[in-house]
Amino acid sequence: QVVVPEEVFFTVAAAGILENLLVLIAVVRNKNLHLPMYFFICSLAISDMLGSLYKTLENIFIILCEMGYLTCRGDFEKKLDDAMDFMFILSLLGSIFSLLAIAADRYITIFYALRYHNIMTLRRALVILAIIWTFCAGSSIAIALFSYEAATVIPFTILFPLMMFFILCLYVHMFLLARTHAKKIASLATSTVHQRTNMRGAITLTIFLGVFLCCWAPFVLHILLVKFCPHNPYCACYMSIFHVNGTLIMCNAIIDPMIFAFRSPELRSTFKKMFC
Amino acid sequence: MSALRLISNRTSQQALSNSDYTWEYEYYEYGPVSFEGLKAHKYSIVIGFWVGLAVFVIFMFFVLTLLTKTGAPHQDNAEPSEKRFRMNSFVTDFGRPLESERVFSRQIAEETQSLFHFCINEVVHLDKAKQSQKGPGLESNIHFQEVPRSSGMFEEGLNGLTKFNIPNFVNTEQNSSLGEDDLLISEPPVILESKSVMQSSHQTLD
Repeated sequence: QVVVPEEVFFTVAAAGILENLLVLIAVVRNKNLHLPMYFFICSLAISDMLGSLYKTLENIFIILCEMGYLTCRGDFEKKLDDAMDFMFILSLLGSIFSLLAIAADRYITIFYALRYHNIMTLRRALVILAIIWTFCAGSSIAIALFSYEAATVIPFTILFPLMMFFILCLYVHMFLLARTHAKKIASLATSTVHQRTNMRGAITLTIFLGVFLCCWAPFVLHILLVKFCPHNPYCACYMSIFHVNGTLIMCNAIIDPMIFAFRSPELRSTFKKMFC
Repeated sequence: MSALRLISNRTSQQALSNSDYTWEYEYYEYGPVSFEGLKAHKYSIVIGFWVGLAVFVIFMFFVLTLLTKTGAPHQDNAEPSEKRFRMNSFVTDFGRPLESERVFSRQIAEETQSLFHFCINEVVHLDKAKQSQKGPGLESNIHFQEVPRSSGMFEEGLNGLTKFNIPNFVNTEQNSSLGEDDLLISEPPVILESKSVMQSSHQTLD
């Protein structure tokens, strides 16, 4: 087992939880931020927080087990473990669906700009979030209960790349449209700015999806391997870096607010007001 | 012993729960697995996975940059619009187009600063609207229709979208809005200069 040092683990987890909590507090306190878009960002922050919380609790649990404070075979512990599994799958599904909701919201904002306020009212956004979280909770209970079956693992792992692909398509379409608009404006001015701005758009989009992919894919692969080849030595070697995968998920919780929430000047100014 | 085996078999299948079974996981999971006689390196899956992921991300990045580079070249778009401006200033009153073009370029600057990506549909819609209105307007006040036509679009876009409070989103729009704002702020002085040069050339011609 490749072990991540405890201090690193807890620092990363605490940083993730703190950051997402700050985002939530900022959105709640500032009335200007009561917009559908920020609600979706909040939902992403909540799912990141759940993920970090899960990892922290699990680690505390392991430490307590090793120190012998808890009997690690009791029924209560098993139930606690199931509850934590549920929380973790909820966090993963919540992240995926929140990203999807953010992408769809931005898509509607660009392509239906004039009707955006009729299509995406606050109430509808809250309803959508409620539906998403109910669905995630339901399916994560199902997955946690039936995690032994191959029938749950395979759809779960297929859902992951499918969602990523869909989100990628949405963003690419938006990106292409932004490029045609940039061309229209640049046709009235000098157009040398093009290459750099388009490169920047490509970089931003790659960072978005790349971060999500790099942070969650190792774990999804781990689940697949545990299901299908637990005794193969190659698979066992991969599974030994499970703690690193967990740390990566918490890094995702830290990076996500930076690339979504902190891009908004309004949110940044709310932070400054909170601390100064 | 058999009871313990049963527990270990179950834990091997519990994909996500390895917290309180971790210490058992270590003892019973890796016991039967022997690392002898491996043809490839022990960590081959790990290395292969990460290399594959890196390749995929880089590939995606290149696909995206390629998408940005394909399409009509920029010079074709620039020239006909400049010719259109010259035609407008020929036909119209010379005092007013100068102002209106300056207002136009300022509006371009404002528009691109705050509403870069969102005027797309507006431009399309208002374009169609204005084209239908263009006919009767042509005889009377040409400069009012031609040159501020697009500035009118942008102005209406500005007014319309400030209601939507979308500028919040625009500033957070991650598709290089910050970069484009920075770059396009430097554009209006260029526009102003080019327009004033054109104006002076038309005045000398006339």
